[in-house]
Amino acid sequence: MRNTLLAALTAIALSSTSMAAMAATPADQLVVGLSMSNILTLDPAAIAGRESTAVITNIYDTPVQLDAVERANVNPGLAESWEISEDGTTITLNFRQGATFASGNPVTVEDAIWSWKRILELELVGSATWQSYGFSLENFDDHVRAEGNSIIVTMPQAGDPLLILYMFGKPSAASVIDSATALQHEVDGDKAAAWLTTNTAGSGPFVLRNWTANDTIILDRNDAYWGGPAAMKRVLMRHMPESQTKRLMLERGDLDVGLALSVPDISALSSNGDVEVQSISSSGFYFLAVNMKDGRFANQETRLALRYLIDYQGINDTIMPNYGVLHQRPVSPGVLGSMENPGYTLDVEKAKEHLAAAGYADGFAVKLLSLNEPPFIDIATSVQSTLAQAGIQAEIITGTGNQVYGPMRERTFEMIVGRGGGGQEPHPHSNMQALVINPDNSDDAGLSGLIGWRTSFYNEDLNNLALSALVERDPAAQEQMYEDVQLMYEELVPALQPISAVVDTVVFRSDVEGYQEHYGWTTRYHHIEKSR
Amino acid sequence: MQTMSRTDASPRHRYWSNLVSATGFVGSIVVTLFGLLVLTFVIGRMMPVDPVLAIVGDEASQATYDRVYARLGLDQPLYVQFFRFVSDVLRGDFGVALVSGRPVVEDIIRVFPATIELGTISIILGAGLGIPLGVLAAVRRNKLPDYLVRFLSLLAYSTPTFWFGLMGLLLFYAYLGWSGGTGRVEVYYSGLVSPITGFLLIDSILVGEWDVFWSALRNIWLPATVLGLNSMAYIARMTRSFMIDQLGQEYVVTARIKGLSQRQVIWRHAFRNIRVQLVTIVALAYGGLLEGAVLIETVFSWPGFGGYLTSNLMMGDMNAVMACTLLVGVLFIALNILSDILYRVFDPRTRAA
Repeated sequence: MRNTLLAALTAIALSSTSMAAMAATPADQLVVGLSMSNILTLDPAAIAGRESTAVITNIYDTPVQLDAVERANVNPGLAESWEISEDGTTITLNFRQGATFASGNPVTVEDAIWSWKRILELELVGSATWQSYGFSLENFDDHVRAEGNSIIVTMPQAGDPLLILYMFGKPSAASVIDSATALQHEVDGDKAAAWLTTNTAGSGPFVLRNWTANDTIILDRNDAYWGGPAAMKRVLMRHMPESQTKRLMLERGDLDVGLALSVPDISALSSNGDVEVQSISSSGFYFLAVNMKDGRFANQETRLALRYLIDYQGINDTIMPNYGVLHQRPVSPGVLGSMENPGYTLDVEKAKEHLAAAGYADGFAVKLLSLNEPPFIDIATSVQSTLAQAGIQAEIITGTGNQVYGPMRERTFEMIVGRGGGGQEPHPHSNMQALVINPDNSDDAGLSGLIGWRTSFYNEDLNNLALSALVERDPAAQEQMYEDVQLMYEELVPALQPISAVVDTVVFRSDVEGYQEHYGWTTRYHHIEKSR
Repeated sequence: MQTMSRTDASPRHRYWSNLVSATGFVGSIVVTLFGLLVLTFVIGRMMPVDPVLAIVGDEASQATYDRVYARLGLDQPLYVQFFRFVSDVLRGDFGVALVSGRPVVEDIIRVFPATIELGTISIILGAGLGIPLGVLAAVRRNKLPDYLVRFLSLLAYSTPTFWFGLMGLLLFYAYLGWSGGTGRVEVYYSGLVSPITGFLLIDSILVGEWDVFWSALRNIWLPATVLGLNSMAYIARMTRSFMIDQLGQEYVVTARIKGLSQRQVIWRHAFRNIRVQLVTIVALAYGGLLEGAVLIETVFSWPGFGGYLTSNLMMGDMNAVMACTLLVGVLFIALNILSDILYRVFDPRTRAA
């Protein structure tokens, strides 16, 4: 008995050591570790988060691709070329010949139009952006038509055609679905919504082989991809909610790419020669916002006081490395009209003067909402201590995403540390739309997708200026107008103060080549190779 | 009294009393499960979690929000939602889970075997080590072995399992390479074996994928040991106190006076009498493991029941949460029935009743 046990243990130990020697990922497979908790569907029309966007990007094609590094550049996708009419009202997308879906069906402009219209019909996540540019189910056929191998789009309302072009590079707005395959699985006129939740019908460089929720996603190479087959035969994505687990597996070489590691783990890995840490300026901002429906914050002097009660430098130096970089204006760094920071600093005396002018010389008590995770909670703690220096007693209330953003969406919050503000399209309007423009400040408007509305910040002149900047055709004049918008925004003292621009950090093994994280979450695996 | 009632009972009377007690038994199970459902539903609805936001993202427009809100049936009054859920359940339909977009039942069939596999190995380790250690500590009470067992079990019981998990990964995976990484198999073996029983160790043997089997074994031993340590500590401490109680009884003194060997006194007499209590302890510990060890599942990225239940709870997906709660309820009732049956095997007095 004892001998049998010993023999069994030896066998396990031997198998362990022999396996330990080969602890490296296969040379032709990419192993990615990420949290899959937010991957709830693979339907391009319904995806909301960054993880699902990353998966969809590699399965479906869009008409164009937004360059990951040069933000103003647009690269060909299914459309090999495009034209914007002189007057800026018409966009023509010329689709490439010979592209096929994974099913073997040819990619046609009809598929692209069907997929686009489907988004508006289903009224899911992707529909809101198209609606904000004036497209609706009713006017769709008047503004979008196929002509030979081209799609001709006329803009339903005045705007910048470049912005529409950028939308054709967003997977949630413009993924092209194999309509023939999808329609085979349609149930009760659902446009295959049920089927496409767990199945895919794309033309991208990879094909979904298997998705087990909160466990694994396996993508196989699409050998017939129009851009040539990818170097990786397979991409294996494994659900790894725990950052330290990802770190250990990266160190051991069992993981090629780790997404969303915690900052302490990233710092520890940055001195490891076997891995590479890639930080890119992503989309959105970390901010402190107040609700202007609250009388205290409707007062401009109070908001001005808050501007000087944030320790911008301290927060960015100690809390934000690998999360964000100092940024105090509402336009993302690197896009048209982006300006130098105005140089706000913590200035308690100045803040006290403004508080006294507002009638709150002794401060007040306020509830400060924050997600219960870094860096939000750390920012909130810092803000709490600097507010206290001017007599404002902030009680931090932490919660999960719904608990924190819910009251903000309903405009019942007082103060919040949050993240957001657009920027997934390389156009300042993306930020304006999210932060600055508020077309209707009434409660009934229910514009809960707009942070401007959520904070009840409304100024008609500012709205008009931002919208006229959007339709300006002369790039130099347009840039000037976006700068004016920011200066006016600053002067009005908004309800939201950006503190840092979001940074995304990815860690991958040094032998992974060609990995480029994308600010719009559309990281492509097509060109990734391993140097072994 | 017992003898009286047994001799008085006619077969007909016994038939009726059996029927009444069986009906009462089934009735109590149904009431328990229904109560569990009501409670879960109420708690779920009181939680400040919004499943719609989880789906549409926090920057979605109100129109999108409303549409999804209605699609999930949340616009209906609470009692309508509840009765709709119960009537679906009675037809065997638990709805579709938000997390996976698949029917809840399919999900549970997928995740539960992973937990049973892990829990079963853990409880075998826990009971297999915990019971002998507990007996040893009781027999050598207040001597070195007792101190050691008490110290170790206190340590194992009071240290958070996720800490043991992380340290275990650091030592046995990162430094020594004796254990696999996370998940049920190394990532490049994922999807090679389609589920037959759902237990990967068994399925991989059935289809002859030995690489997958060894990978699964390398991946399961560490989380199972970490979980097993915790049960071991609990079982050892309970065994020790049950045994001390028995060893102080008069029949043990009598047995010793009769000249029985130490071994016979301990195992034939004292231990036999604690088996019934042990069964309850082990069954409850096993139930706890099957309910899901969320922290260990998170640390080891183990795609099990605990993680599934928690992520659905965080998402506010009541279809999945209620189905899981119901399953846990059924599980505990089943384990109770099992320990009742074992009582009858081990304790002749209960057989007579």
